[in-house]
Amino acid sequence: MVREIFHVILFGGDKMEKKIEIKNVSKFYGRKQALFDIDLTIGQGMFGLLGRNGAGKTTLMKTLAALHRKKGGEITVCGVPIEKAKEIRAMTGYLPQDFSMYPSMKTDEALDYLGALSGIPKAERKKRVTALLRKVNLIEHRHKKVKELSGGMKRRLGIAQALIHDPTVLIVDEPTAGLDPEERIRFRNLLCEVAEERIVILSTHIVGDIEATCENIAIMDEGKILWKGTVEQLIENARGHIFTSNVEKRFMPQIKKEYIVTGMLSQNDYTTVRIVSDSEPDLPNTVLTEPDLEGAYMYCLHSSGCDVKGGEE
Amino acid sequence: MLFGKECRRILTSLTFIIYCFVVGLFFVSQYIEENKGDPYIPDEKISEDHDVIMNGAVGNLANEYLANNYICYPYGFYKSVRLNEDDSQKVEECLLEVTGLTHDELMDIRDSGEHYYVEHGLQETMYYEIGELPVSDTITYERFCELMGQVDDILGGGSSYKVEDLVVTYSYVPMTEEDREAVISDLYEKDRVAGGYARLFSDYVGIDLGIMPVFVAAALVSADRRKRVSDLIYTRKISSLKLIFTRYAALVTMMFIPVILCMIAAAIQLIKYFDFNDLALYRMFTLPTFWLLPQLMIVTAVAMIVTEVFSSGIAILLQFAWWFSSIMASGAKLSGSISKFDLVCRHNTVFGRDEFMLSRNDFIFNRIFFFIAAIVITAITAYVYELKRGGRFHGIRLFGKDSIFRHKA
Repeated sequence: MVREIFHVILFGGDKMEKKIEIKNVSKFYGRKQALFDIDLTIGQGMFGLLGRNGAGKTTLMKTLAALHRKKGGEITVCGVPIEKAKEIRAMTGYLPQDFSMYPSMKTDEALDYLGALSGIPKAERKKRVTALLRKVNLIEHRHKKVKELSGGMKRRLGIAQALIHDPTVLIVDEPTAGLDPEERIRFRNLLCEVAEERIVILSTHIVGDIEATCENIAIMDEGKILWKGTVEQLIENARGHIFTSNVEKRFMPQIKKEYIVTGMLSQNDYTTVRIVSDSEPDLPNTVLTEPDLEGAYMYCLHSSGCDVKGGEE
Repeated sequence: MLFGKECRRILTSLTFIIYCFVVGLFFVSQYIEENKGDPYIPDEKISEDHDVIMNGAVGNLANEYLANNYICYPYGFYKSVRLNEDDSQKVEECLLEVTGLTHDELMDIRDSGEHYYVEHGLQETMYYEIGELPVSDTITYERFCELMGQVDDILGGGSSYKVEDLVVTYSYVPMTEEDREAVISDLYEKDRVAGGYARLFSDYVGIDLGIMPVFVAAALVSADRRKRVSDLIYTRKISSLKLIFTRYAALVTMMFIPVILCMIAAAIQLIKYFDFNDLALYRMFTLPTFWLLPQLMIVTAVAMIVTEVFSSGIAILLQFAWWFSSIMASGAKLSGSISKFDLVCRHNTVFGRDEFMLSRNDFIFNRIFFFIAAIVITAITAYVYELKRGGRFHGIRLFGKDSIFRHKA
């Protein structure tokens, strides 16, 4: 606190801009290139990183968390170069894709332990552990061992541990995979709450998560950024390319082969299909439809030349 | 405090409970049970008499030379050495110089006695009953040691002619009643009883501490990877140096606590069987701490670095090999000879203070060396950890799909 006041007196107002700048970043695993000239600027609030499994999202997340070393380019987190790992660690909270904790530790113990590793003094840690457990709705389970928590509870513990040192940046990698709908909604709301005062990067392949939480997004595939902008812009891009047709069920296998099918609804002998296409499909009862984010995402992949097999079995 | 939390993690781990059980069981069965009542007094003693040493060594060398079968223990392992003609000739030259005999005189002695056969595995070796051989009047002890050193070199090391081991191998003489009284007197006056028992205690517990800590250390270090917690820990603010040294200190502290409890039990047993006024009880704590703590530290440090570097349980195999060779190397002589780099120092008797003191400087060097080496190795471990958490090193995999032995297309 004193430090911040001192900073304001000396340098005035906002001491650092809350943003992450990624310029021309590349990364190799041995000879295999995993990231290709990534350029991104991520500001305060929720930022979604959308992409298929294996698109390079986790690699980028780990690089931002100073867990991986980039090969080329520049990354600065709130003005701090990524190479200054100790400073980056101090300002970053990270929830890995496969969050796990020592199974025999109690929930509050686990948080306290990770808080100690983050250098938080004991008295402060005690307050924060209680506050965070309350925030993530685990206060009643604080004496339970980690191994006794359900998948959703574990994920909430994961977000609590990532916030224990009150980081400026929060990186969450595929946090809702495997959660039931109720837990997923609860988790999204939690992320939106914590994003009010920090940068939150949400990496996921679940379009619904992005739709519910993020305004700014980037789409990745094969280690490249295919698209970046707002959700509205992405949807706007897909306008005129999402169609709905009502076809006989027996034609479905052929339709799936020929088109990118993003949704199907069967009624008696007919199926209403939602199709992503450059031009209007030559199918009966076809109408142009208002695009949704899922369709827009598929169209983005398709228009970027990705091999999209939305409906093929 | 992080140290306390790491101690708690160790305390609740299964490997630590097993460690405590094994250390405790070994201590009770080997030390407590064997040291109830009066101490056992050996039948022989070390004389340090040069004539005794030279006579003993010459007799054995002549026997082995004539049979061309030398029993050696290179790296602690039994080996029967048979020399070619050239090397045999060189050994003979040494033998002749020490005895002052000529080749013909030696052969006459050989032929004048009986011979007998001894089986060594599938081979039979013929030995001669040659009686006691003379030692030349003109040879000095220094020259004798030089020649024995040459013989040891010819044999490839590990023989009973190794200069450092000549005293403890060849100087034993039967104890007289006066000797027995002197031994008891040394125990009471020089060692104040507790000193002698402290050496025996350290000898037994040292065997445990040469291997058991590796299990606890490897389990703790590999827990992050096994429980998939590594990334969570890596992204914390704490420095690698602080984290690794805190974990190391917690491991050493927790693993030394059972040893301290054993020391207390050993001290209580001394009070039970000896007059309290005869005891310098503090020695039951000081000597074992100096003896055992560096050993625990080096085993723990090596286990940590190997586990970090190889990301596998290879530390257990390596430590077992080191421990086993150290035990085997000292196996032939359970007391009196501690070299500069023995991991497990042996002195398997309550007596023999003077004998132990012969190696005192090497013993002190040994323990200080391992103490410093342990600290240095831990610092290197912290560096390796920092490389790993920054994605600059991912460990060397010996097995699995990322194995370094796997062909990469």
